[in-house]
Amino acid sequence: MIRIKTAIVMLVIAAAAFLGIGGRCFYLQYFCREFYQKSSEKSQHSNFIEQTRRGAILDCRGRTLAASVPLETIFAEPRAISDLKAVANELSEILDISASEITEKVLAGRNPGYAPVAREITLTDEQRKAIRKIRGIGVETKWKRSYPLGRTAAHVVGFVGTDGKALAGIELKYNKLLSGKTGKSTFFSDVARRPIGLEENKSFAADGSDIVLTIDAVIQEFTRSALSKQITRYNAESGFAVVMNPCTGAVLSMVSLPDFDPETLADADANSMGNHLISDPFEPGSIFKPIVAAWAVDSGVFKQNDVVFCENGRYAGKGFGRIGEYRDGFGHLSIGDILAFSSNIGMTKIGQKMGAKKIYEGIKFFGFGVKTGIDLPGEEPGIIWPLKRWDGYSVARIPYGHEVLVTGMQIAKAYCVLANDGKIIKPYLAKAVIDTSSSQTKIISPKPLGGCVINSETSRWLVRQALSNAVKKGTGKRAALKKYQVWGKTGTANIAKSTGKGYDESNYVASFAGGVPAKDPAIVVLVSIRKPNRKLGLGYTGGSVAAPVVNEILDKSLGYLQSGN
Amino acid sequence: MKNTFDNNKLADSIAALVVTLIGFGAVFVFSASARVGADYDWKNFYNYLELRQLFFCILAIAVMLAVSLFNYKWLAFKSVRPSGLIQNPLSWLLLISIALLVIVLIPGLGTEVNYARRWLRVPAGPITINFQPSELAKWALVFFLSAVSAKLGEKLRLFKKSFLPLIILIGLVLGLIIIEDFGTTAFLGAISFTILLVAGAKWWHFITPIPVLAGVLTLAIIKSPERIERITAFLSPTDASSQAAGYQVEQSLTAISTGGLLGKGLGRGISKYGHLPEDTTDFIFAIVAEEMGFIGVVAVVLLFILFIILGVMTIHRCRDNFGRLLAFAIVLTIASQAAINLGVVTRLLPTKGIALPFISAGGSHLLLAAAAVGILINITRNSSGKTQ
Repeated sequence: MIRIKTAIVMLVIAAAAFLGIGGRCFYLQYFCREFYQKSSEKSQHSNFIEQTRRGAILDCRGRTLAASVPLETIFAEPRAISDLKAVANELSEILDISASEITEKVLAGRNPGYAPVAREITLTDEQRKAIRKIRGIGVETKWKRSYPLGRTAAHVVGFVGTDGKALAGIELKYNKLLSGKTGKSTFFSDVARRPIGLEENKSFAADGSDIVLTIDAVIQEFTRSALSKQITRYNAESGFAVVMNPCTGAVLSMVSLPDFDPETLADADANSMGNHLISDPFEPGSIFKPIVAAWAVDSGVFKQNDVVFCENGRYAGKGFGRIGEYRDGFGHLSIGDILAFSSNIGMTKIGQKMGAKKIYEGIKFFGFGVKTGIDLPGEEPGIIWPLKRWDGYSVARIPYGHEVLVTGMQIAKAYCVLANDGKIIKPYLAKAVIDTSSSQTKIISPKPLGGCVINSETSRWLVRQALSNAVKKGTGKRAALKKYQVWGKTGTANIAKSTGKGYDESNYVASFAGGVPAKDPAIVVLVSIRKPNRKLGLGYTGGSVAAPVVNEILDKSLGYLQSGN
Repeated sequence: MKNTFDNNKLADSIAALVVTLIGFGAVFVFSASARVGADYDWKNFYNYLELRQLFFCILAIAVMLAVSLFNYKWLAFKSVRPSGLIQNPLSWLLLISIALLVIVLIPGLGTEVNYARRWLRVPAGPITINFQPSELAKWALVFFLSAVSAKLGEKLRLFKKSFLPLIILIGLVLGLIIIEDFGTTAFLGAISFTILLVAGAKWWHFITPIPVLAGVLTLAIIKSPERIERITAFLSPTDASSQAAGYQVEQSLTAISTGGLLGKGLGRGISKYGHLPEDTTDFIFAIVAEEMGFIGVVAVVLLFILFIILGVMTIHRCRDNFGRLLAFAIVLTIASQAAINLGVVTRLLPTKGIALPFISAGGSHLLLAAAAVGILINITRNSSGKTQ
């Protein structure tokens, strides 16, 4: 009396259940796949990020200005350690740390996944291997950026923040080349986040490239020490100096004071971070005179030997106000002597004869009012007012360097043009990139531009006669060297009052711009010191404050360059 | 056409099908036991689940073939009088099972796995044999009920003389199992009643035991927080994903779903690396679906459906009531256990600890299922009614 039909119906129901399960799986695998794929990503994937070495920054002779060194931190994962005593004992045998100290550090941590045991140390390969075998202990490598020159090249090299982010200078400008490519691998991982052999995708890591600068660490050191000494001596507010090769535009040294230590940024004064040379436009004063004079001669308004009557020091008129000299008045002066003795009235009269349009044209041609394009972040273009805002006062004052705002870099570039037979140059710092993986070097210095601002005749007359005379017999005597003819121009500029109109009569910017030797110039230097303390009674003019600095820089640099070659 | 597919061929087909399932299982147990960074220590091969399973698979096939050589009629009851009962091996099997079920409950003798004391650990030389008495009890009860009901025949319709004693016996066995294993109890209860029903018991007789069984099961659920958690996790899957019970099924669905239609490839699954607990045992099907995709799902489902079809053919051909009932009981037990397992893995049913026959890792359930199929094969082979 067996119910066969019931039995078969029961089994058919079971078979139907299997079909239902098949359908359910199809639903899960076809329609829900994306959803589960996404939700499983977090738990089933792990990333391994390979931190690459940041490229070094080298000076023109391969000396290190910035480099990354690997430092290792050993950490414990407290939740993964079951027998802390055994782990601590094992670890203390590998490291030179006592087991009790390790235990203490592991227990002190609040994060169950991370408790540092030893920070920023260097391990041998054997130590690293042995440590990796201990469960619950990990090693992480962090790169530390070191700056062997410290403050000396701080404003050029820049710095990298604690999080590895480039924040200033060459570090920032060439960050992409320096940082290379971080390798990221995505792994499937087991529930304890250990990678399973299956690798899903991988991007290959590449170390950063090294950057070779035009900076010469030795000249940089000369420049900084000379400038720093003078700033201390004159109790000045700040200063900057730059040394360039006028033929190429290569910057051999660049200093801005006050400066900072790139390795201890936390203690740095915020005011010391800016690079005054490129980011702090100022009224240049007399160092601007040769630019206007060069244009006056080059454009044919004056001839080299023309003589201008300098009104014996009293010159005033309707529409341009009163022009005074620094000290004594002058009578008749040649154009060259106007520069050598730095006559304001002479320059005013030159400007008045040129007219606003010509002056404007000239200073624009020399590159004022536009960034020089040097490869540093934070450069300012300065201010040259548009022609329609010029009046008689402008025409009378711009020729001796007021009513314009320029950066030190622009002045240095203009002086390079004067020294380089009138040919235009572009200042630059990075000359080559070394690909560290292939060891290939790529030159990245700008190509010669090949244009002329003024003709070589005018420029040679200016450098070899007018501006050499300024050092020989004029205001820049203290820059003179025995062996070589130094040329250049002093400047003692008033500082506009921060409140608005008028000038602060007690504070000046003392500058000297020039180079050596007058025949075939090899170096151009600009030194500018802001607010030397007049009350010290040591002087405040470009000739007395800045020229000796230039002298020291030129003297030492020439000696160094000659011995090196 | 029909003549070519005689009883021997049918029997061979069942054997081949089950060997295929066992082989399939061995492959996936091997795959699912993959570990990160561990080498084999060949001296202790028995400690490695996948190697042990390989050994069990070979043993299971041997057991199946050996059992199929014995005539199933040897198991039939000669009479239902005490003298007849004592002579029958199935009575002894059931007695031993009940004894083992009692022993496993004694602390110190039984071994806890996953908070349930279901295992007996028998040291045998260098290796330890883990044995689950409830598995043996399940088959012993199924066989015993089939054999007794077949012998009782029409008398099964007598409530006091036949039905009630059998129900009390079922109650006794289930009562011993329910203490530690809720899923198997519910499953075995349903199977037992079905066998009795098919054997010819009056349907309204079940009005008495079913409420009792339902009441006991409900009580068992309420008394165990773990079971309530499993049920709530099943009923509200979305907010329970963080809970332990919900997590497991969630991981199971993730494994199945991410396999897609074509699968990640044999051995290339991810869930088995600790994400999916019980990946070699109860949730092995999720690993199949992950690595072989829908194709693997279809393969498993079709193999079990084919098993049912071959079972139905055997029942249909067999002219002996005992053989028919026994064949039905064996096919039903295996097929419904498989269906319940797949239902749990795909979250069509709440989680319970029921293995997938032939495929899940484990010695006792595999060997016993293989022995049961051996009996089924013998029934097929000895079906007197040749298809004509």
